[in-house]
Amino acid sequence: MTRRAWVRLDNASNIFLAARSDADSKVFRMSAELDHDVDAQLLQEALDEVYDHYPLYHAVLRRGVFWHYLQDSDLRPTATPDDQHTCAPIYLPDRRNLLFRVAHHRTRIVLEVFHALSDGTGALWFLSDLLNAYTRRSSTLPGTAAVPDTPGSAHPPGTIAPRSDAAAPRHELTADSFAQYFRGKTEGVGAQDSDFSKAAATPVLEVEDEVDSGKPLRRRPGLRPSFMDVYHPKGTRTPDNRTRAVELTLPSKDLLDLAKAIEVSPTMYLTALFFESIRRSSGGLGKKRTLSASIPVNLRQFFPSDSARNFFATVTVRHTYGEGLDDIAAIAKQLDGQFRPKATPEALERKLRKLIRAERMVVLRVFPRPIKDMLLRLINWGINRGISVAVSNLGRVTLPEPAESHVERMLFHVSAVRPQFCAVSHAGYLTISFTSPFTEIGHVREFARMLTENDIPVTVAAAKVTEQELMEQKS
Amino acid sequence: MKHCSECAVDIEGAWHTCPLCRGTVEGDTSADPFPAIPLTFSRRRVLTVLFLTSIGIILLSFAAQLFFSRAIDDIGPFRYAWLGVTAMWLIVLMAVRKRSNVAKGTVYMVVLIGLVCTYWDYLTGWHGWALSYVVPIVCACSVVALLITVKVMRIEVGEYIVYSGLTVVLGLAPIAFLFLGWVTNPVPSSICGALSLLALGLLQLSRGADVKHELSKRLHL
Repeated sequence: MTRRAWVRLDNASNIFLAARSDADSKVFRMSAELDHDVDAQLLQEALDEVYDHYPLYHAVLRRGVFWHYLQDSDLRPTATPDDQHTCAPIYLPDRRNLLFRVAHHRTRIVLEVFHALSDGTGALWFLSDLLNAYTRRSSTLPGTAAVPDTPGSAHPPGTIAPRSDAAAPRHELTADSFAQYFRGKTEGVGAQDSDFSKAAATPVLEVEDEVDSGKPLRRRPGLRPSFMDVYHPKGTRTPDNRTRAVELTLPSKDLLDLAKAIEVSPTMYLTALFFESIRRSSGGLGKKRTLSASIPVNLRQFFPSDSARNFFATVTVRHTYGEGLDDIAAIAKQLDGQFRPKATPEALERKLRKLIRAERMVVLRVFPRPIKDMLLRLINWGINRGISVAVSNLGRVTLPEPAESHVERMLFHVSAVRPQFCAVSHAGYLTISFTSPFTEIGHVREFARMLTENDIPVTVAAAKVTEQELMEQKS
Repeated sequence: MKHCSECAVDIEGAWHTCPLCRGTVEGDTSADPFPAIPLTFSRRRVLTVLFLTSIGIILLSFAAQLFFSRAIDDIGPFRYAWLGVTAMWLIVLMAVRKRSNVAKGTVYMVVLIGLVCTYWDYLTGWHGWALSYVVPIVCACSVVALLITVKVMRIEVGEYIVYSGLTVVLGLAPIAFLFLGWVTNPVPSSICGALSLLALGLLQLSRGADVKHELSKRLHL
């Protein structure tokens, strides 16, 4: 009998399981557009090659009495034509399947991942290696074949390049960076835990304002309103619970210039635009005039790790309308002022350590899994009360050659329980993918119009979700 | 690529209208980056099918009662459980379906509860409890409930006035029962009738014009 390797699912990932619903599959999709139509055969070969380098991606999810756990499997992935809507469910309890899928449609290569397995940065590593393996095969240009096979040799800025030893399997099942960095009293440098069962992480990675007790943050009025004041966009659910996705493409430089002009980060500028478009499309916010956005922060940029498992924390920023200046520049500056102090390594570390301590309490650990799930669902519900929208910016992606010269746009979708956007930029194009559980896309219209008013050329691509839109396609 | 001049954006894929503003688009169709995935199901259709199936089962359940004799020793207590479940199902279904308009929902409830109880009374030996007690009590309570609800919920006059009127008119029915001698105890019917007449008078005095306006609008030929 072969004993399969297994590892307990960290709590950060557990919350994705607890928060999974019909409308929100907790799946994200990362796609890359090539300069030619995808060859299914070559893609399969590339997938087979890359799959062997990523033991983590061999995992299936199982349910234990106290925890979910990831278990190694002998399954092999198949690259299929893209025959499902974006972010279609991947994990279904009691079905032992891989937690990711690879598909292709015209020029797009699509990677979809269940969020309990990996986060955006982790998935981007897999995708960039896949793209590299594919383009090495598809490329007939002389010279490109001579590029040495160094998986993951170039990674997006802000992330840490993997170990130089390319022969060793990377991104294995065990590496839990939360445990490595935030457990115990001292920095766990090099304390890579070989014991699967000891892997641990944090349930809620919500970073609150009061992290800094020695140097209090300057509070503005209305910075921390009660959850009762937070506006929640409402709408009609899509007919079969599929995620509504609309992609906007624009030149990255144009947006960077806009953000630079008022000295804020592009993410905060986009978030301010998003708030304003939500307000404009809402038909009046009513009494709930506070909009808040949850923004994930990649922890690898502060705590070097080459684990592809979830390793991020979220920071919440808010703006209340009707309390001072409400133009884009003012909102963006206010959000920037909130975000910067919360996204420092010190602030994040202090909070995460506290949370790790809480989740390792013996009392909490002995609850059976269904009760833990219920608690996590409750915690998740509580967090959601304070959030209007979510925003995720992967930043500029640089791929290894030859992939870099053959890949054009890259896109990033996330299944959403609330209106959300994910941005990623590559080859000079910034793509902003709006996802929502609702059919209404008034906020995307307002967002696009605000960009075009600044003379930025915008291209729209939308997946069809309603009966009417699908009928239109046929006619 | 298609272009929407209203939003000033280019549109990828085969769209006849702008996906953002539903306005007209011009230009050539370009390749769609997304495949058109047929709906796996439509929530609206699922709900319609569930509703129709429920109604069918409820009607069949009521009809099936006629096959059993009225005597208690046939299916006896089982009939009460069966009718109870069916009636509950019907009431909940209607309450959910008509939740958007409280006044309209109330009229539906009064009619449905009245009919189900009368039928139930008929099935179990026609003791007259439905007409003597249930119908007058339900009618009277709904009149009072409506008076309170429209005040508390601040519903627009046009939204509820016709249905409030209907509820009050339904409340007059027990007076007819009283005169036809269908009741075993005259008290509930008398109270209900008096209350309804009073409500009708109030309605005519305070909202007579509104009622006329709504009726002429809805019965316009």
